Amino acid sequence: MTMFRTGARGDHDPGPAREALRLVEVTRTYGTAENAVTALDGVTLSLGRGTFTAVMGPSGSGKSTLLQCAAGLDRPDSGVVRVDGKELTGGGEAELTRFRRGRVGFVFQQYNLLETLTVAENTVLPLKLAGRRVDRKRAREMLTAVGLGDRLGHRPDQLSGGQRQRVAIARALVTEPRVIFADEPTGALDTRSARQVMLLLREAVRVHGRTVVMVTHDPVAASYADSVVFLADGRLAGRMDAPTPDAVAERLAHLGDDVPVGV
Amino acid sequence: MLVLALRSIRRRPGRFLATLLSAFLGAAITMTFNSMHDTAGQGGVDPVSSETLGTAAGVVGGYGTLLVFFAVASTLTVNVRQRTAELELLRCSGATPAQINRMVVGEAVAVALVGAALAIGPAMLGGRALLEMFQDSGQVAGSVEYSFGPVALLSGVDITLLASAGAAFLAVRRVRRGGRARTGVKRFLACAALATGAVGAGATFLFPATDEALMAPPAYGAILLSVGFALLSPRLLKGVLDRLPLNGASGWLAVRNLRERADHLAGILVCLILFTAVSTATVTMQAVESDAVKASGLVKSVDAKNLETLNLTVVGIIAVFVCVMLVNSLYAATTYRSREFGQQRLAGATPGQVLGVVGAEGVVLTLTGVFFGTVAALAGVVPFTVVRTDAVLPDRFLAVWIAMAAVSAAVTLGTSLETARRVLRTPAVGAVTLAA
Repeated sequence: MTMFRTGARGDHDPGPAREALRLVEVTRTYGTAENAVTALDGVTLSLGRGTFTAVMGPSGSGKSTLLQCAAGLDRPDSGVVRVDGKELTGGGEAELTRFRRGRVGFVFQQYNLLETLTVAENTVLPLKLAGRRVDRKRAREMLTAVGLGDRLGHRPDQLSGGQRQRVAIARALVTEPRVIFADEPTGALDTRSARQVMLLLREAVRVHGRTVVMVTHDPVAASYADSVVFLADGRLAGRMDAPTPDAVAERLAHLGDDVPVGV
Repeated sequence: MLVLALRSIRRRPGRFLATLLSAFLGAAITMTFNSMHDTAGQGGVDPVSSETLGTAAGVVGGYGTLLVFFAVASTLTVNVRQRTAELELLRCSGATPAQINRMVVGEAVAVALVGAALAIGPAMLGGRALLEMFQDSGQVAGSVEYSFGPVALLSGVDITLLASAGAAFLAVRRVRRGGRARTGVKRFLACAALATGAVGAGATFLFPATDEALMAPPAYGAILLSVGFALLSPRLLKGVLDRLPLNGASGWLAVRNLRERADHLAGILVCLILFTAVSTATVTMQAVESDAVKASGLVKSVDAKNLETLNLTVVGIIAVFVCVMLVNSLYAATTYRSREFGQQRLAGATPGQVLGVVGAEGVVLTLTGVFFGTVAALAGVVPFTVVRTDAVLPDRFLAVWIAMAAVSAAVTLGTSLETARRVLRTPAVGAVTLAA
């Protein structure tokens, strides 16, 4: 427990691990024995530091479960999850929360900003909760970088969807996490806002050196990533580097035909 | 639309539980006391008994009507506010405002009818017990038979129905209009209540020390003052929050939540202020009165005894009612925050920190409510004590106050923390994706 509390920037922190995320034989089943649904069926995956990966697959292929297990929001039935070289072990929700702080940041389709807080307050909330020093200047820089420097005192309901998602990205970046998990970040956005969001996520990788893992079903969004990992029926179904929207769409359309290949 | 109303109740009975509970309690109280009218109206009841029964029915019946209206209105407002999304969806699918009105009012009437029907049995038992209490204390002749007749039934059903329909109509209208327009009226009413309350409490000094009605002006003064404070409560709460140095992530979040939701929390503060003021003032004044009578060596008259029974019954009923309302509205408000708690957890809050936020909010609410309730109570108790005895503050006050403040704190914190703890059992990811 104390090991988790010190966070990623503790005294004995050896610096970022080379592997930002590693999953070994991760299995997750929902429901009881009779009508059990296997969402993840022995997934093994390794993502290097500073990479931008999109996870794609049809509905029900286990994309969201994969993201939640990898991010410490859900616990796999079996298998190993390592984030930034630290293994995710059992424990209560409080322990998982402390594990995530400083290691993991989130961007969700529905933004999940707190309605009662202003843009600036939402951005520094993770720091407040983790009991870390709140650097307001840095938060302001972060919000200026996502193009919202003049909206600090606004509430989320005064912003457009694209603006809210950019606040969410600033919030995810402010704790300087090793891995940012994005769950359909452009799912509720128009194409212009979606493009801005994808450019910001790519910048987080290129400029700030973060690792981004993004679940999406939009081939255009996926084309911003360095590589795409395909998922079907809870298993890995291939990988594509330097993806283009057309190639991704083509591959998705024939995902059922593919013989599953190892990654 | 009525079909839709009935279907929406049948599909989600849980949502209407809070409204049903307040309609049921309200109808039960109204019927219990109005059955005293039925009992007194029978042939062969002597005038003294008849008068006692009539007073009890009149005074508590009047209070009851007010309480029913207030209780049903506050639960319905919460209920309608939490369904804004659903009502918006109906509007988009082509429902006219009048149709939406009919649906919400129809639901409220249906729930009120069920509540009133359920209340008949308990009201009969309660009325019988009340009559026996009057008979045991010798205020009503032992020969009087209990009767539950048309007055009780009609008044109970009518009041509950009217209160529900009226409150539902106002609630749905307020949600549609965004509820900002009438702050001026509200402020005027609050100032009027405060001014009348102060005059009432001050009028105590005009009465001679042994006047039987001496307790009335300070009691009504305290009640009016607490109503005034209650109407101003969102503003008072904001004032308190500005002067609050709360540190730590939980306190920081709690202050911001409360400031944003101050208007929605008025219902909870109303309960707290009324409970503290009414119970503390009446119980203390009754104790002072009894002590004074005992000290003078006189025996209490039937009227004085009537007044005592009535006082304590009224306080008991108001206290229980307001407590139930407090639990009711806190439970509804906290359950509704499941999504917000999920978002806090995804932003890095441990379940303990979320409970810390809820706890800090509860403490601030309790302190604010108890403080203004105490001010209102003191405004009644002090004039009464000065006139009736030589002291300024009775010795009993502190004990009564501590008991009432403890009940307020226990109910507020207990309900919100326990509800939050249950809400937190849903995984965070599930909580934010659940349709509200």
